[in-house]
Amino acid sequence: MNPSEPQLSYPHDTGSNAEDAALIRRMCDADETALGALYDRWMRSLYSLVMHLLKDADEAEDVVEETFWQAWRKASAYEPSRGAVSTWLLTIGRRKALDRIRAKRRRKEEPFGQDRPFADLRSAEPDPSENAEGFELRRHVLAALKELPAEQREVLELGYFSGLSQTEIADATGQPLGTVKTRMRLGMQKLREPLSMHRQGPE
Amino acid sequence: MIDMNHEEAFSELAAVALDVVPTEVGDAVRAHAAVCPECGPELTAMEATVVALGELVPSQQMNRGRGAGIRSRLVMRARAERETHSAGSEGPPDLSRGVASLTGLGHRITPVSQRTLVVEGGKQKTPSQPLAARPLSYESKDRSLVKWLAMAATLALVATAAQLMRVTADRNSMRADIALRDTASLDTASRNDSLTALVAERDAMIAAISGSDVKVVALTNESARQPLGRMFWNRTSNDWTMVTYDLRSPRPGRTYQVWLITDDAKISAGTFKPGADGKAVMHANYALARNALRAVAITEEPEGGVPAPTGPMVVSGTATS
Repeated sequence: MNPSEPQLSYPHDTGSNAEDAALIRRMCDADETALGALYDRWMRSLYSLVMHLLKDADEAEDVVEETFWQAWRKASAYEPSRGAVSTWLLTIGRRKALDRIRAKRRRKEEPFGQDRPFADLRSAEPDPSENAEGFELRRHVLAALKELPAEQREVLELGYFSGLSQTEIADATGQPLGTVKTRMRLGMQKLREPLSMHRQGPE
Repeated sequence: MIDMNHEEAFSELAAVALDVVPTEVGDAVRAHAAVCPECGPELTAMEATVVALGELVPSQQMNRGRGAGIRSRLVMRARAERETHSAGSEGPPDLSRGVASLTGLGHRITPVSQRTLVVEGGKQKTPSQPLAARPLSYESKDRSLVKWLAMAATLALVATAAQLMRVTADRNSMRADIALRDTASLDTASRNDSLTALVAERDAMIAAISGSDVKVVALTNESARQPLGRMFWNRTSNDWTMVTYDLRSPRPGRTYQVWLITDDAKISAGTFKPGADGKAVMHANYALARNALRAVAITEEPEGGVPAPTGPMVVSGTATS
């Protein structure tokens, strides 16, 4: 019902994060209009993420609502030193989505380690709705993903999309737990490098 | 909490960032990272990477009506919560008082310094006073004194044992009482939270439909004698509240969608399904020019809603000026 859809913004976008942080401060002061504004800014990104994880529109909408409500109730728990508001928000949302996936798996409704590969992610083609900086970051991370050895990518995919624990990944792949831990750590380190470079680059 | 050294915490950073470790491991790693100059920034960077991966998923658009409905519910709940707190806030309960009254420590346990011991014809002496101030001489006393002392010792022993049993029972009873009251207190707090939220929601709804500037549109169809629902538009707060009374369920795989009709647009106000009793309540917040509304309509549409009405009209109502 809100006719103006917000532009996507990215965690490293400090200007955008300053605006988000201001909204969080207003939420701490019980200003509900700030919650509405934060929703307008991040609903689309959050919905896209949880929808991609859950593959169910009703559940994704529930998670979006639960996430923003938690953000409202726990606004004072946001710590700027631990990352951007969007990081905080999307982390809450992803955690809630993974909780649902894990609950389904416990009820045997979800296949063990359902296939949701990184190959499903967006191509590096620029999206007119995003800023140039966002496109650059996406391009770098996608390139890093492509460079990952298959076994590291597999471990990250099972953790990222299915929320499998390292032990569960070890069971699913038939690899020793130590090997899984090492692959996960190395894969994440390789992925975070372009992000770090990207953050330092424009300065 | 698990005690974790630097190497152990560092090896778990990726898994913690991906949120695929047990809570206790995550807590231990985060506790270490909070004070570790190496792990802290590394964890932050990895968490940002996880979020960046989330940004790479294909962009998906939530149904606008449902998105607006969620937004409206969130803002209304937040407003209701704020108003409830500002109106009835008495501050957090004084837990220390609660605990003191629950345990009854103040009147059940007497400090050692105030305890007394009754000896010798009712005269009170504190334990610090010597009980054997008078030397006893077996030679000068007859056997009755020994007998008396033995009886007194036995009585003291029995009394002490009884006292010990009573205090132990009393303590156990208090522990059970505290546990019971703690449980009851948690249940009560939980129920109180739910009821507070419910009351706040009802208050917000009453405010939305009873303001001085509320336009009401009766929703009906040709076969109904009475309105099947009403739409309340609070033109001051831009809150829309729709109530239906006797609406049959949509067909399987279909949903009802509400439309605000103006001269040049049909604006989706969200989708809903009535309960088994035909009742439904829906909220939305949307700014519309005061005289722009021409009608409100409900159509039956595919699950998830559609950008423009396609299905049969179920009920509608004309907005009179």
